[in-house]
Amino acid sequence: MTTAAATISGYLKQKAPFFGSHEWITLGLVLLAFAIPALTTNPQALSQANLILIAATAALGVYIMLRLDLMSFAVPSFMAIGGYTVAVLSLRLGVTDVVVLGLAAFLVPALCAVPLGWLILRLKGVYFVLVTFVLTEIVQLLLFEAAPLTGGSNGLVGMPAVRFFGFELWDNSHVLLTTTGLAFAGFLVTAIFTRRFRYEFAAIEKNDVLAESLGLACWKYKAMAFAVAAGVSGLAGFALVNMLMTAHPTSFAPMSSVNYITYTIVGGKGSILGTLVGAILLVSATDYFALRGELSPGLFGLLIIVVTLLARGGVIGTVTTLIGSLRARGSRWLGNGPARKAPKGDIR
Amino acid sequence: MEGFIATGLIGISLGSQYTLLALGFTLIFGILGVVNFAHGGFYVMGGYVAYYCTSMLGLSYPVALLIAVGSTAMLGWLFETLILERVIEDHQATLMVTMGFYLVMATAILMIFGAESPEFSFPIAGVWRAGGVYFPYANMVVLGVCLAAIVLVYWLVYRTNLGRAMRAMAEDRAVASALGMRTKVLFPFAFALATGLAGLTGALVTPILALAPHVGDPVLAFSFLTVILGGLGSVTGATVAAFIVGLVEAYAAVYLGGSKGALTLFVLVLIILVIRPQGLLGKEVRRA
Repeated sequence: MTTAAATISGYLKQKAPFFGSHEWITLGLVLLAFAIPALTTNPQALSQANLILIAATAALGVYIMLRLDLMSFAVPSFMAIGGYTVAVLSLRLGVTDVVVLGLAAFLVPALCAVPLGWLILRLKGVYFVLVTFVLTEIVQLLLFEAAPLTGGSNGLVGMPAVRFFGFELWDNSHVLLTTTGLAFAGFLVTAIFTRRFRYEFAAIEKNDVLAESLGLACWKYKAMAFAVAAGVSGLAGFALVNMLMTAHPTSFAPMSSVNYITYTIVGGKGSILGTLVGAILLVSATDYFALRGELSPGLFGLLIIVVTLLARGGVIGTVTTLIGSLRARGSRWLGNGPARKAPKGDIR
Repeated sequence: MEGFIATGLIGISLGSQYTLLALGFTLIFGILGVVNFAHGGFYVMGGYVAYYCTSMLGLSYPVALLIAVGSTAMLGWLFETLILERVIEDHQATLMVTMGFYLVMATAILMIFGAESPEFSFPIAGVWRAGGVYFPYANMVVLGVCLAAIVLVYWLVYRTNLGRAMRAMAEDRAVASALGMRTKVLFPFAFALATGLAGLTGALVTPILALAPHVGDPVLAFSFLTVILGGLGSVTGATVAAFIVGLVEAYAAVYLGGSKGALTLFVLVLIILVIRPQGLLGKEVRRA
């Protein structure tokens, strides 16, 4: 009797905290990037850190949609919308405040995603994949066609430096600080959003028909996720445009969506940490093999196949499983460890 | 008027090419439940194999065509049995694997043949003319071969036991295998048939359009458009949609100019999605 009560109260006390360890580690790692300009002024290292943070933020768009078991190729389109919004605001209207621009880069793509989501989210798995793929092609064409607004094939060139409360952020280290700020905002929004609705998302991911019949308004969560994913992608687009000081259609090429998917899958699609780790590993690997730049897609392809066939959890999933089994073996070996604990309600 | 007819002929020959691509794509989806992201890769591979056979080995073009079909079908068969078969039940995994395979294929072609597009032109030159209507002989040959291949596929799918077995698999995999249809034989066969068709299209079309390692990307996008328009998994839908896509593209390119053709198609597809999410001739979408 008492043991049963103890078990129940134990379960209640175990109520999963809002952020799991993966979220804390991820946010901590992104925050650490603020320190990079203080440690080095090597432009190579700074641009590398920039690229990693932008790639990771963009890949969050894929991560969010994967929470709902939807594979999205739409990241470059929303990056483009975010990036061009910033470029138009700063070049045509003279807005340079980074907070205002950041809000615009989040909100405009998110608002665009609402009607698109209404159209697309009624489609089942495979159709969703195909349509998001086609969407990136449409946006690419529109960027070229809407020349008066987007500058067509010339793009929008010569953006002024952004300002943070009047302080001009213009040199290499300042650009990294801006990128880090945007990446942190993106990761924070994603972490809060995916943890807040983790049970709903998990239900939809497992079986959306069942979830729907149990009274969960699936379309509402899917639409929200699509809008938030679009907004976070928009932040990545802002960071990219800010780094290059130009907004050009080639920065948002349709096939680049494959890269963002690769980061998420290879890093581990089950955890937000996987997205960051995937971006760090693969962007560094691309840089490392840059002697033969054209090889990187082949490397990515090979990694995707290997991960899909052999290690479905990606890097983070595999490491977590390894640590878990080592722990279990260790406690069994010591003989005094507790019996295997019930899983901690750690629904991702 | 002559311009109108000539554009129509171009549209029909484009449509026949898209049909071959879309037929393969839709067969793979209908029978295996797999979205083949590597389809554009097999198209490019077909083109390069034909180029290698004619330019490097000095073989005649029809022989090169056959070798292109054989090698792409062979690679498709190997890919299906060695890699795809292991994850066939998980739609997301099949997506990832075919996408990865496309990247590997494109990179391999890039490494072997280099980034520049090689000199690869159709063996038959000249233009047929009747009044003011012009139609290149090369396009005529392509149209003829494509139509023949389409008829062959229809015959295979609708008039042979193999085709009946494949359609049974597409209809209901569980029941069909319970009745003795062999997945282990039919899946690789269907995949090889589809990739062989993509290879054939590549070998036929790249000498007219362009041959370069990256020409598979737009092919993939157009295959997607066609099957969305026609309804995923529907053979007749894919054929009808491919000709619509070809005609719209040809007329829009002539009368609207530039990339307006592609934009028109995208808008058309979006409208179709609003009215009929299952596509023109699609039935209830299979859960995949």
